[in-house]
Amino acid sequence: MTEPAEIVVRMGELAVSKTAGQVLVSIGLGSCIGLAMLDRARGVAGLAHVMLPAGGAATEPLAKFADAAVPALAAGVEAVGARHVRLQAVLVGGAQMFSHGPNSMLDIGRRNEEAVCAALSQLRIPVVATATRGSSGRTIRVCTDGRVTVKAAGGDEVALLVGGAA
Amino acid sequence: MSTSPYSAMQLDALRELANIGSGTAGTALAQMLGRPVDISIPAALALPLADAVDAVGAAETPVTAVLLPLQGDLDAVVLLVFPVQDAERICVLLGVEPDSEIGRSALGEVGNILGSSYVGALAALTGLALEPEPPQTAGDMLGAIVASVLAARSQATDVALILDSQLEVEGESCAISFLLLPAAGGVDDLLVRMGVET
Repeated sequence: MTEPAEIVVRMGELAVSKTAGQVLVSIGLGSCIGLAMLDRARGVAGLAHVMLPAGGAATEPLAKFADAAVPALAAGVEAVGARHVRLQAVLVGGAQMFSHGPNSMLDIGRRNEEAVCAALSQLRIPVVATATRGSSGRTIRVCTDGRVTVKAAGGDEVALLVGGAA
Repeated sequence: MSTSPYSAMQLDALRELANIGSGTAGTALAQMLGRPVDISIPAALALPLADAVDAVGAAETPVTAVLLPLQGDLDAVVLLVFPVQDAERICVLLGVEPDSEIGRSALGEVGNILGSSYVGALAALTGLALEPEPPQTAGDMLGAIVASVLAARSQATDVALILDSQLEVEGESCAISFLLLPAAGGVDDLLVRMGVET
C-alpha cells in the first residue's frame, strides 16, 4: 500500500485525519504554533497552524487565533472518532525570529504558546511534548499512528513522540 | 482577483511605488558593489495570509533576511530576503567572510542602506515622514520569517499586501528580494497619498 500524500496545513488552517499512515505537516513555523492533537488509541490526529493569541471576528480563518483554534481542533478530531479523555497535545513553534524587536514583534511566539496552553487546560487536554521558543523556525509532522516530529531550520528531524498506539 | 480589497488601478499605483523604491535601492547596491544591478518589475499582490506566505517562495528555503520596521507616518516593514547562496555571494563581493559575525553584520548594513534608499524614495514620492528603525537580521526558513512578520501585523486583517521587487547583480547569480509589507491601515494611507483612494 502506498502512503497517502502529506496534508499541508498552512497559516490559519487546521486539518484532521483518521487515515492510517496519513501525515499532516506545517512547514516553517516561526512565531506561529503548530498544535498537534492525537488520540493514539483510535489513530486520529489533527494539526492547527495558529498565528495569534486571541481576538477577531467569526469570519476569520478557523485556526488563526488560539482561543478559537483549540476548541475547533478538539471538535474536529472528536468528529472523526477521537475520545476527548484520551486527547494529547503537542506544541511546536512560538519562536522569536528577530531578536531585538521590542516594539515591532511583541514576542508573539511566547504569547501564542501561553494562549494555546491556556485554551488546552480549559479543555483539560494534557500537553505531552513541546519544541517551542528560541529563535529558530521549525517544521512539524504529525502522523495518525501517533508519531510527531520536529525539524528546526538547518537541523535534523527529531521525534517528539514515537508512533504506535499507547 | 475577487479576494483583493484593492482595485486594479490601486495595485498599479502600489506597483509603481515599489518600482521607484527598488530603482533607488538598485542604484545604491550598484554603487556599493561597483557593478550594474538589474531591477525586476515589481509585483503587487493582495492575498489571503496563507497564500501570501506561499507567494514569496518555498517555505523551507534557507534564507538570510533583514527586517527594517518603519517609524513615522506609515505602519509597515521592509523585508529584504537573500537566499543563502546569494547572501554568500554578496559577502564575497564586499570582501568579507560569509557565515561569520562580520558577514552577518555586513549583510545587515547592506539591508540598512538598501532599505533606507527604498524608504527614502517612498517618503519623497508620498510626502509621508518615514524613517527605518535599525535593521534586524535572521537566518532561517523563508516561510517562518515571512509568516512571523505577517502574523505580527494581521490581528485585524486576513489579507496581506506584498510589494515584491527583485534586484539582480549583473554577471553574478545573485538576487535580493525586496518586500514592503504595510499593515491594512498603512495601505489606505499610501493610496490616499497617491490619489487613488476608494
